[in-house]
Amino acid sequence: MLRINSVNKTFNKNSLDEYAALNNINLHISQGEFVTIIGGNGAGKSTLFNAISGSILCDSGEIILGDEDITYMPEHKRASFIGRIFQDPMKGTAPNMTVGENLIISYMRSTNRNVIGVPSKKEKDYIREHLSSLNLGLENRMKTKIGLLSGGQRQAVTLVMATLVKPKLLLLDEHTAALDPVSAKTVTEITKKIVSENNITTLMITHNISSALDMGTRTIMMDSGRIVMDLKGEERKKATVQSLLAKFN
Amino acid sequence: MSLTAFIGAMELGLVYSLLAFGTYISFRILKVADLTVDGSFVLGAAASAMLTFEGMPVVGIVAALTLGAIAGVITALLQTKMGIQPILAGILTMTGLYSINLMVMGGKANIPLLNKTNIFTYAENFGGRTYKIIVLTAIITVVFIILNWFFRTLLGLSLRATGDNEDMCRASSINTDSVKVVGFALSNSIVALSGALVAQMQQSADVNMGSGMVVISFASLIIGSVIIKDNNITMGLLSVVIGSIIYRLIIALILTTNFPPSYLKLISAIVVITALSLPNLKRKMEINRMGRGRKYAKNQLS
Repeated sequence: MLRINSVNKTFNKNSLDEYAALNNINLHISQGEFVTIIGGNGAGKSTLFNAISGSILCDSGEIILGDEDITYMPEHKRASFIGRIFQDPMKGTAPNMTVGENLIISYMRSTNRNVIGVPSKKEKDYIREHLSSLNLGLENRMKTKIGLLSGGQRQAVTLVMATLVKPKLLLLDEHTAALDPVSAKTVTEITKKIVSENNITTLMITHNISSALDMGTRTIMMDSGRIVMDLKGEERKKATVQSLLAKFN
Repeated sequence: MSLTAFIGAMELGLVYSLLAFGTYISFRILKVADLTVDGSFVLGAAASAMLTFEGMPVVGIVAALTLGAIAGVITALLQTKMGIQPILAGILTMTGLYSINLMVMGGKANIPLLNKTNIFTYAENFGGRTYKIIVLTAIITVVFIILNWFFRTLLGLSLRATGDNEDMCRASSINTDSVKVVGFALSNSIVALSGALVAQMQQSADVNMGSGMVVISFASLIIGSVIIKDNNITMGLLSVVIGSIIYRLIIALILTTNFPPSYLKLISAIVVITALSLPNLKRKMEINRMGRGRKYAKNQLS
């Protein structure tokens, strides 16, 4: 599904600050896999996401999603089939627009609609239904400005926005890290539900090692721009927070 | 205020509310103070005046809409493709437009249109004293309906989202550069329409008639937003019309006193400065007050 072949990215080349954020990364992910990514600060996790989503271009190597080589595709084009959610709940939504309008934009974008089209009643109902499946009562607040919602609620709406139309790939960049424990738990549950119900291929960065093992089907650890550990199947079931923490050092 | 003065103020309020529609798109929706307006307003007036002079007032309006859109596209490209700061991009287009406007006007700084047929003369027979108001209301209603529909389409929603959160737009696969081009084109097209109508209504076009238009339109936007607080699009557009009319009524009132009209632009500037700085000043004053309160409490305790 996603094949990353010998990708390299070096920042500040030929200077004292030169450092290899991605150092010959090879990663193959099959359809429907849910991969959690852990690693210290500066390990290259976010750079990997930036390279996949196109906010940075890699120096060498290739990124293939499905049958398509997306290594040099512009960011906004990739975004129509790659959903990405950031740590900052403010980043994923337009605060002065209503919950409904935010959802309509992302829905109409991913269905490749005529730019001067308006959503039909049926589509609006579909969006509302989707929102009500979160059980947060947000379907009754479609006309509320999204800036008035709490961080957890905003992050939940962002998740729905990214998955209204099933993306080929979902990137979650520590999307619960800025939330209080209760909201974080809610958003985590929603994530699990949406990903498993739709069988979406997902990559999730987290600093919470127990949730890295608890969620998903595979866990990788990065360090200094390399993938230093790749756990799946039986081996992953046996792994504990302690055994992973030991590897960190 | 006499009835004539009142009707005059209404006419101006209506015709300049189109100008304010234009800046509503750039200033309120895209959150950029677009100074192209001072130039594209005259561009519209110049094109409309030249064609009205030749006996084609309607063609003049269409030409104004088109040329205004082109001016907007240039400003947007300077910002997005050339990476020039938004304010400077507007100033550059505006400066360049001064020469273009003179060129359109055949090198003359003023085009008088006395006794030429214009789009208002068509309504003269049945409209009585308010015939200009009737024509303007009809045009504004059409523009209002089009804009109100547009901002509910995917493109319109994308435009609003681009001004609100560019990160989110890129993540939703919106090409923000193209969206900005559309936004500035639409904005300046409507501004040029306003200029075109002013030229036909006042039966003359002047190469300097655009100076200060940005500030005047901001004053209308601000007055409007004080009166109608709800800022969804329909209410926002409505507040723009109301703001523009009230602004003109205030000016008309000032003119009934002995106040010298040359101060009008200064007043507009002060209105805008006050309105934009008020929220900040209020907060600072509140912080100061709280600080003083704490000092007082401390002194009482010690």
